[in-house]
Amino acid sequence: MKTQTHLSLSLAATPLFLLMAMPAHAAGVSAGSLIENTATATYDDGSGPPKTVDSNTVVVAVDELLDVTVTSLDTGPIATQPGEEVLTFEITNTGNGPEAYTLTTNPAVAGNDFDTTVDNIAVDTNGNGTYDPGVDTILTGPATTPVLAEDENITVFVITTVPADVADTDESDVELTAEAVTGTGPAGTTFTGDGVNGVDAITGLTEADGSAIGSLIAGVTTVDLVKAASVADPFGGTSAVPGSVVTFTLTATVTGSGSIADLVIDDAIPTDTSYVPGTLTLDGGALTDASGDDAGEASAADISVDVGTVASGSSHAVTFDVTID
Amino acid sequence: MTNIMKSMITALAIFGLALPAAAQEQPISLVGDVMLEKVETNETGESKTTLVEPGVIVPGDRLIFGTDYANSGSEAVENFVVTNPLPKPVRLASDADPELTVSVDGGKNWGTLGALTVTSEAGEARAAAHADVTHVRWTLAVVKPGEKGRVEYPAIIR
Repeated sequence: MKTQTHLSLSLAATPLFLLMAMPAHAAGVSAGSLIENTATATYDDGSGPPKTVDSNTVVVAVDELLDVTVTSLDTGPIATQPGEEVLTFEITNTGNGPEAYTLTTNPAVAGNDFDTTVDNIAVDTNGNGTYDPGVDTILTGPATTPVLAEDENITVFVITTVPADVADTDESDVELTAEAVTGTGPAGTTFTGDGVNGVDAITGLTEADGSAIGSLIAGVTTVDLVKAASVADPFGGTSAVPGSVVTFTLTATVTGSGSIADLVIDDAIPTDTSYVPGTLTLDGGALTDASGDDAGEASAADISVDVGTVASGSSHAVTFDVTID
Repeated sequence: MTNIMKSMITALAIFGLALPAAAQEQPISLVGDVMLEKVETNETGESKTTLVEPGVIVPGDRLIFGTDYANSGSEAVENFVVTNPLPKPVRLASDADPELTVSVDGGKNWGTLGALTVTSEAGEARAAAHADVTHVRWTLAVVKPGEKGRVEYPAIIR
């Protein structure tokens, strides 16, 4: 405890002090703030005007509370595929003084179906909430945030690589931990003189150590294409002879999670056969041979059908006829 | 000391107050102190409250501000009023004596907390809360020669 004797100095100090803004913070009074208490007595002693006397001014400095919270900003498990994936977190200084935090990641959380590889941790430098390679600053080891003011938060990205052999619906958690640079420990752990302006630093209820988990779920979509042929000869049989009509059926089946976009089914007209104009269909509906008027187009050389976006669990069939030359 | 006296004189001059006879011995003395109230819970769940020197203090901690007064003169003094502005970083604890005389407007109006209101900038009045208290005050009609006592209030660091 520091005590100071100021005598009547408080008379001058009080009006100035009232003008000072005392911003309200979630974490309370800023570390290093001085609490100065002075009492004043007035009385009559029977002679002359009332007399005034001040007490000594008791001064104590507010110490620095070390606290932090980490939150995942992803709305739920991120649907992912082999390759780069970015998880987003927010780190908030819930203490009452400026503090930086050391960041560590754990991509091998117990219960994971697969583990990712963490490539980098980056700060959302331009504040747009999206990882921008080359713009957002990569934190290099040990990854440490800039100093955050009390109540300040920053967004950080954990950039991971999802392994190539991941199976559909496999899940993986990635944990990000932030620890106060000044120190961590059970609530009440004190670091003498390590706070702002030389006050003590003390861990709060978060133990100056926060973590959160971001989740990934693999959505691996596969397309199976099966080609079948049926033959009708000119004599009512099924022999492949010149003049026989062969109907090809191409069936695309999408399995796995999610959907695939821009599915285009192409096939070349086999040699020694000729395409029968006007026989192209998609799911039983006729398509013109011309290009641009519908999903399909056909020529003497090949056919092409743009099926578009196909949801998992559905299949589409394309048929066309050729005659054997 | 010389500098402090100079500051005091300057301050008094600025505020246009009459300079008291500084050399004259005052019969009344005030001595302030502050203690940190610490609650410790033992293994059986019983909690014990102790007052300790405020070593490490952080928002939410409870402080007890005390002032010892004494009349060391040979004459009784009358209309003895001790006024204590609350330091900005603290608020009056909610279990403070409800009969305590307080001000919520910087010392203009006084009363028990329950009798006071706070008017917002929009002109709406509401009951005053402990966090609104700016000053506390104690009044004694007479302090006899040799009489001494103590006043205190509990506060929470904002």
